[in-house]
Amino acid sequence: MKKLLMLGTALLLSTTAIGSAWAQAINSNPLSDPRVRQAIAYAIDMDTIVETLFEGNAIRAVGLLPDGPNKPDDLERYDYNPDKARELLAEAGWDSSRELDVVYYYADQGTADLMATMQAYLADVGISMNYRMLEGDVGPQITALPADPVAGPSGVKWDILYGARAALALQEYFNQFGYGLMPTIPNVPEMNDLVAQVNSTTDPEVQREGYHQMERVINKNAYIIPLYYQQLYTYESNRLHRNGAPYGNEQYNYNWDVQNWTVDPTADGKNVLYTNAAPAQFFEVPWQNLGIWVHSKFAFDTVLEADGNLTPIGGELAESYSVSEDGLDVSFTLKDGLTWHDGTPLTADDLAWSIEAALKFPITHPVLMATFKAIDGSEAFQTGAADHVSGVSVEGNTVKLKFDHIDPNVLLSFSQFAPLPKAQFAGVNPVELQQSAYWQKPIGSGPFMIDEVRMNDYTTLVPFAAYHGGAPKIEQIIARPSGDNDGNLLVNATAGKADFGYTKSAGDVPGLEGLSYMTVKPIDIPYTRMIWINQFPHPAK
Amino acid sequence: MLTYIIRRVLILIPMALVICFLVYLGLEMTPGDAVSFMISPDALSSMDPAQLAEMREALGLGQPFIVRFWIWLSSLLQGNFGYSTSGGVPIGRILSDRLPATLELSVAALVLSTILGSLLGVISALKRGSKTDSALTVVGMLGVSVPEFFFGLVAILIFGLNLGWLPVGGRMMPGYVTFWDRLPHLIMPASVLSIMLTAGVMRYARSSMLDALSKDFIKTARSKGIPEWRVNLLHGFRVALTPVVVLIGFRLPVLLGGSVIIEQVFQWPGIGNEFISAVRGQDYPVVMTIALLSVMTVLVASLIVDVLTAVIDPRVRLGD
Repeated sequence: MKKLLMLGTALLLSTTAIGSAWAQAINSNPLSDPRVRQAIAYAIDMDTIVETLFEGNAIRAVGLLPDGPNKPDDLERYDYNPDKARELLAEAGWDSSRELDVVYYYADQGTADLMATMQAYLADVGISMNYRMLEGDVGPQITALPADPVAGPSGVKWDILYGARAALALQEYFNQFGYGLMPTIPNVPEMNDLVAQVNSTTDPEVQREGYHQMERVINKNAYIIPLYYQQLYTYESNRLHRNGAPYGNEQYNYNWDVQNWTVDPTADGKNVLYTNAAPAQFFEVPWQNLGIWVHSKFAFDTVLEADGNLTPIGGELAESYSVSEDGLDVSFTLKDGLTWHDGTPLTADDLAWSIEAALKFPITHPVLMATFKAIDGSEAFQTGAADHVSGVSVEGNTVKLKFDHIDPNVLLSFSQFAPLPKAQFAGVNPVELQQSAYWQKPIGSGPFMIDEVRMNDYTTLVPFAAYHGGAPKIEQIIARPSGDNDGNLLVNATAGKADFGYTKSAGDVPGLEGLSYMTVKPIDIPYTRMIWINQFPHPAK
Repeated sequence: MLTYIIRRVLILIPMALVICFLVYLGLEMTPGDAVSFMISPDALSSMDPAQLAEMREALGLGQPFIVRFWIWLSSLLQGNFGYSTSGGVPIGRILSDRLPATLELSVAALVLSTILGSLLGVISALKRGSKTDSALTVVGMLGVSVPEFFFGLVAILIFGLNLGWLPVGGRMMPGYVTFWDRLPHLIMPASVLSIMLTAGVMRYARSSMLDALSKDFIKTARSKGIPEWRVNLLHGFRVALTPVVVLIGFRLPVLLGGSVIIEQVFQWPGIGNEFISAVRGQDYPVVMTIALLSVMTVLVASLIVDVLTAVIDPRVRLGD
């Protein structure tokens, strides 16, 4: 009898139902009850949404991280199960008169449609929600922290936020779980340690173990509900030949070997490549959106080179690099004879100055900023207590970096970091770097030089004959300003004025796929759309 | 008349100031600023708020509203339009780049619509009640009621994509030097922009012509044996022209703002496109300068209409 009782108990405990029966709200906000969050996950049929709303142009998400070795394969999938959702809500004593305030910040119609769909799914299980788009200064509205990271109350005013995490380094998915950094979840001590673990080592195995554990914790507690992985789509006309060059994550810099691409001549015999995303008013500093703008990738080279998965694979501007055993000393030796597009030498001084400027440029990409902030003396430089970063030194053609603490992404950061010509920014406050006249027609270091700029009309690029990787074969690139989610992109493509480009907008895909001479290739990227559930006691409720 | 013009010009100044202040106030009440626009919300959670605050300070966004307005206004009075907040581009340069494109498009549309509208309106009036009149009336109604972007998309589909006769967008291409090089780019946007204007002018011209033709002096002219074409054109049309000129005058500012949609549909790099981007990006100096330009165009156009009306119609006495 005793054995039978134990067996029965074990069986019951093994079910989610009894497991969740032990779960309960940890404060006055019912969303702090994991059963409610799990119910929300079960209530939304993401498979159907992906197939219908997104016409298959997305991947249903299980876990925050994109599919691959860094994600454990034993995560709960939360497949659509409205009965289970109702059951969990009943157990949690959900008050169906409560109306959830769901917010988002994307202005596209697809997001509004998704919100309406979610509203219907949640209503079906007894959860009512309203949705609204956040306007204006969105940052403080989504990142305001609670006064107390454990007890709250909430610093943000909504119940659920729909948004995304686009990551260069996988740590970016989890770093908000560091103590006192999360606006929506009372501190989870277990996660604090794991965040520290993945940020304090360069060993991929140790990082992987940390990612696995964090994914499991988040998945089990439904702290965040991942909805789908957004893909990126490259489109290429049949005039373009990449000649074996690899594909990769176009949001960033990788070894795309553009200098070896060729195009069939146009009707008037020109080897011209048409593309899009030309600037409307100014070129953007390439330290914020690292590879989003195709012209930045044409015109600027990075210190190191990464492959399509963004794994650093060697030098680009650097001939060689070294990392000390403890990871605290890093050096880059630049190739001999490098020049900027105007013929002036590209030196180690340019690189050292660029690192310092990036530290003061307020919107440098967070992964790059984290790397530069780990260098000795960076804080004193940022606060103005020092004129230079003490951990950055130049010896001949080599830049030496002395780190205060390990940065797990140092090589990744330098595979994305394009130095700028110091001489062009004399007297410019790095805080106002973007406001410099240089950005009307930048002088870069990449395979193509910016030739003619007619803002908001077109930009042309021509080969940089002295390019260290060999002169490019395409004779001219003409970029028009149309971009993602812009009807003019399809118009230009249909008119034969877009031979290459990329978009994250699934809405652009059907039209491009409909062109017989266009090939559209989906590429998996670390870009997860998800909902954050605010568990803190809510002042407005 | 000179006294009247001087008085009107003096009234323009406080009116422009008040309108600019209201536009600035409206922008101030809009949530967000140029810095919040520069950064994608996806990335915001990883940004350092202290550094963003420093950026706001450096760009002058940390100062009180009234101080910023005063700085903008006093710079303007010294002939300095200032700089775009987001990109640091001198606004004078933005205007010199974009204004010619908008004026080129607007003037082409205005000329086209004035000639066509007047001509068709007169024909319609002279053939009152005929099938031609009915057809033109229907066409006119369609012209004023169907949105411009629809005509734009249809034109792109037919003439740009299917027939391949005209470029689908943009104003220039590498290697263009003269106006004639870029004329093919102008034809579609100018024609589409002129459709609505033509329809309006045509309706005005028709009713105005009918009104003129019913006057006693027309009967007198006919009784004198003056040829019918002279009666219609020299006597009737001249009088009928007055309300048409008024309409065209008031269309001048509309052309500046009314080309916004056409500029977007045809990827035309004009001031309307810039204005939309600046409003979205909360780029105060750019928005204010373009707004001031629009305000001045409206006020000056109104003055010109008054003066022209007096010149055309001797019965009108300005300042009475």
